[in-house]
Amino acid sequence: MEVFADAFTYLIARREYVLATLTDHFMLVIWATFFVILIGVPLGIIISRTNRLQELVLGSVGILYTIPILALLGFLIPIMGIGTRPALIALVIYGLLPVVRNTCVGISQVPAMTKEAALGMGANNLQLLFKVEIPLTFPVIFAGIRTAMVMTFSLATYAVFIGAGGMGSIIMRGMRTYNTGMLLAGIIMVVITTVLLDRVVGFIDNRVQKKFSLAD
Amino acid sequence: MTREISVELQDVVKVYDTTKVVDGVNLSIEKGEIFVLIGPSGCGKTTTLKMINQLIPHTSGNILVNGMNVKELDAVELRRSIGYVIQYIGLLPHLTIEENITFVLQLIRRPKKEQKKRAHELIETVGLPASYLKRHPRELSGGQQQRIGVARALAGDPEILLMDEPFGAVDPLTREQLQNELLRLQETIQKTIVFVTHDIQEAFKVGNRIGIMRNGKMASVGNAMELVKNEDEFVRSFVGQGAIFDALDNIPVKRVMENDIPNVREGEPFKLKTAMNGWENIIVLDQNGAGVGYVSLEDVGPDGVIPAGAVRPLLPGCSPDLSIKKAVEQMLYGGRTWLPVASPENVFEGIVTFQACAGLLSREAG
Repeated sequence: MEVFADAFTYLIARREYVLATLTDHFMLVIWATFFVILIGVPLGIIISRTNRLQELVLGSVGILYTIPILALLGFLIPIMGIGTRPALIALVIYGLLPVVRNTCVGISQVPAMTKEAALGMGANNLQLLFKVEIPLTFPVIFAGIRTAMVMTFSLATYAVFIGAGGMGSIIMRGMRTYNTGMLLAGIIMVVITTVLLDRVVGFIDNRVQKKFSLAD
Repeated sequence: MTREISVELQDVVKVYDTTKVVDGVNLSIEKGEIFVLIGPSGCGKTTTLKMINQLIPHTSGNILVNGMNVKELDAVELRRSIGYVIQYIGLLPHLTIEENITFVLQLIRRPKKEQKKRAHELIETVGLPASYLKRHPRELSGGQQQRIGVARALAGDPEILLMDEPFGAVDPLTREQLQNELLRLQETIQKTIVFVTHDIQEAFKVGNRIGIMRNGKMASVGNAMELVKNEDEFVRSFVGQGAIFDALDNIPVKRVMENDIPNVREGEPFKLKTAMNGWENIIVLDQNGAGVGYVSLEDVGPDGVIPAGAVRPLLPGCSPDLSIKKAVEQMLYGGRTWLPVASPENVFEGIVTFQACAGLLSREAG
């Protein structure tokens, strides 16, 4: 039990450092989520229109998703060097799959009758997209964003390997110096914040699902 | 009398791959009429309807809306100028009733204030309380959703309404109610309505004219009576056995009502010199002019005094707008050969007899 006491002592004594890694970690995830949405949602919409593109893109995104993170980070070093940028790119690559897939599936599942009603009343293509398809698909898209966000948050622990900081740094340092208190402190931070993030985003997700629940 | 043509189809053809779904349809739909397109499934009726607002572009031929060729119009603008009603699933589930009704106004970016005003007007027009405006479609019954569908189509005040099996998804009782409401509404709005259905009774009831389609061709066009007497084998089999009776469903009782009926106020003596017009009974009215009973001329005393015991009860009065089919039904159920006709304020107006109904039938069907 001594090791827990050590961990908490560390967290309190080095709180400024801990807080700094936490901020780095969060910023990395927020930026990654931002780019995932920016790329993933339009990509999902585009591929929902054509079957051939859909198979191609979902297939490629699926393959990227299965690459182990350390391999991907290692692969990015000769191309982009180290630092925040390659870490961000790796996280975006992992986050894309759930968002692209959910957007694509959601948009393709908007009933033809509903779309026809909107078109019949004189909606143009953009109005159909923004007034009907996206609002109707929003809960599904949001569920994808939730998955992507929680996943990139836990994956961001590896960002330290490529020099992008984050809470992985505490764990790394603890391992390198055989400082079990510090190691445990890092683990506790990662676990607690991941669970908290999942809870918070999950809460928002539930609100979204309730507000948009469309069961007829 | 030449009437204004709202929608005209000239030799319109629609080809999917190699099949001709619509094969050379010619049609003139007059301003202010309800034109029903009917036929077995796959006959091309819905395709024909959707070509009018170019949801489905036609392959060849001309479609004119208010004299303008739809190919030369912007499809989006065209659709905004034509009301469109489909089965109730067509309400947008993520929008409130108010947002659904004003959807067209949102598309053309009308001011919010105007949208709100219009939503309140229209929900009243279709007979639902304004409190429903804040609800979502799923909180309404099928019939209520369908009324909202009609309100939504009227939002932009279009001259033409396209209705694609609008009452197909509701139960028969509600359907009849909606048909009646549509007919009542049409008296005030006077739109040109193109109405697709697969139900011949519905066609007879709501249609001023009916076009029967078969294999992409227009098999026959005419009013209910003309279709009933059509000799064509397909039309006959499609219209069916009970058709002549159903065809009476859109003719109101007032067309055959007799209104010179001898009557007398309760408690007053009957003037024996009153012309009877070949009629043997006298209707007894109360002080408000509502029918309370009838008495046979034979039972009237020498001074025109009506013995209290001789007054026999009337069947419930029917409205002058009731269809002849319904009136005959009421006669059959009531075991009489005539019905009193009363205004909505329950003032006696005349009577309708079985004979007059049958006479009309033979006249119209010639």
